[in-house]
Amino acid sequence: MITQEEIRKIAKLAKLYVSEEEIGSLTEDMARIIAFADTINAAADTQEPFDSIQSLQNALREDVVRPSYPQEEILRNVNGGEDGYFRTKQSREG
Amino acid sequence: MRQYEMIAGLETHVELSTKTKIFCGCTTAFGSEPNTHCCPVCTGMPGTLPKLNARVVEYAVRAGLATGCRINRISKMDRKNYVYPDLPKAYQISQYDKPLCEWGRIELSNGRTIRITRIHIEEDAGKLVHVRGNTLVDYNRGGVPLIEIVTEPDFRSADEIREYLETLQLTMKTIGVSDCKMQEGSLRCDVNISVRPVGSETFGTRTEIKNMNSFTYMEKAVAYETERQIDLIESGGTVVQETRRYDEASGMTESMRGKEDADDYRYFREPDLVTIAVTDEQIEQWQADMPELPRHRLDRYTNQLQLPAADAALLVKYPRIAAYFDEAAQGVNARTVANFILGALFRRLPTDAEKENAAFPVPAAYLHDLAALIDGGKLNMNLAKTTFEKMLDTGKPVSDLLTQADLAGLDAEALAAVCRAAVENNPAAVADIRAGKEKAMGALIGYVMKATRGKADAGAATALLKQLIG
Repeated sequence: MITQEEIRKIAKLAKLYVSEEEIGSLTEDMARIIAFADTINAAADTQEPFDSIQSLQNALREDVVRPSYPQEEILRNVNGGEDGYFRTKQSREG
Repeated sequence: MRQYEMIAGLETHVELSTKTKIFCGCTTAFGSEPNTHCCPVCTGMPGTLPKLNARVVEYAVRAGLATGCRINRISKMDRKNYVYPDLPKAYQISQYDKPLCEWGRIELSNGRTIRITRIHIEEDAGKLVHVRGNTLVDYNRGGVPLIEIVTEPDFRSADEIREYLETLQLTMKTIGVSDCKMQEGSLRCDVNISVRPVGSETFGTRTEIKNMNSFTYMEKAVAYETERQIDLIESGGTVVQETRRYDEASGMTESMRGKEDADDYRYFREPDLVTIAVTDEQIEQWQADMPELPRHRLDRYTNQLQLPAADAALLVKYPRIAAYFDEAAQGVNARTVANFILGALFRRLPTDAEKENAAFPVPAAYLHDLAALIDGGKLNMNLAKTTFEKMLDTGKPVSDLLTQADLAGLDAEALAAVCRAAVENNPAAVADIRAGKEKAMGALIGYVMKATRGKADAGAATALLKQLIG
């Protein structure tokens, strides 16, 4: 059973800010999600695994350079960025 | 105070010298305008799919073979989840429980072995620039292929770490999978370090020092961190498991994050990439075309060619120089060739970078021909040395620089005649020698060399002159 403590930890790792009021309902939601995943797992046990990444091998690419995108295109979603860079709030550590 | 020993393990990141990134066709070239080597894949745009670069697998397996690793025939990629701006997808595609290579080793000159736990492939992160309360992000490096080489906690000194890194660097360069330029960040390491009283069997609590990209900083950081931990324990404190950063300005390590934020990467299989299979045939082929590894080359130079250890190490340090030496030394006296390279040639390539590049003014065959003439007694060492300098100046072969007469050598009779002339024409010097002033012999030798255009053998001439003077 998932605990409220685990929900707080997952939120923290995902850099999500969750209010105390939300914790209860999120815990219930997450319990339902995990139960659903368990159902799928149980079903998988009964048949041949339907898993394309297990059965396929070596979808590889040759080491040949292709043109990159123009800088302004890459930065279009961040209003052009700053001096050619993406800009975020100060972040240290990591 | 009790005696302590340090214990360290290393995680080394080596950038592979493929032309393109690990999961897209963007170039891996270093040093361009920010965010110009990017596409939707390496900037993590929604809906994009990675496709693995075949050469990354090849290079990683070659690195594994060169370090004696077992190669896993079946391998896979996993997602390592963490939220930080250098990763646009909020996860790094890496390998968790099925790395390409496991259980290798690197031997140290003191006879100890450093065990390699694993070598896995992963994507590099982008580069962050912290300015004016903001963080600027450049994803040119994001997606550049890396191998991470992880060792067991087998190091007992900073010297051992340095030797291991130098050997690793040289090995990767020799097999051509990375240029390992520390100044460009293509070789960086994290050191896990702990201390314990000598004789103790249990490990102390370790700290991790992140991202050192120079030998000097690594040595300073390891020395500082060892002392810090010993001082802490001796003063009754305890070492806290944490990640620390070495600050180059202060020469100290400082805490980056502690155990309460301990890594929780929630690894899971990367669903966008299929299984990696390496065949026995591929491994056999890569093993077969592996060049001679530095440690084997060193053995051959010292044992088979009888080069002094220091000379051999200097040649082996620069793979291109060593290849040049091998070509020039074919079938001639190897020590002679080594001396020419380490002397005259090295003087013309004063920096490490120039030696790395090894842009030689003359082909190895020219040096080989010169050494063959010396071996055959056609050329004495003095004349050979000046000829080699001329060769380096002009780029011309021996045959253009020396006349037939130069190469004819001097027969004993001709040498005797010249020596007699030297004695007759230098009465003052002869008188000095007879009075015990050995130095005056130089004037007579000078005369002989001038008269023979340097062809005379100085040793033979000296003996003959002494005989004549009596």
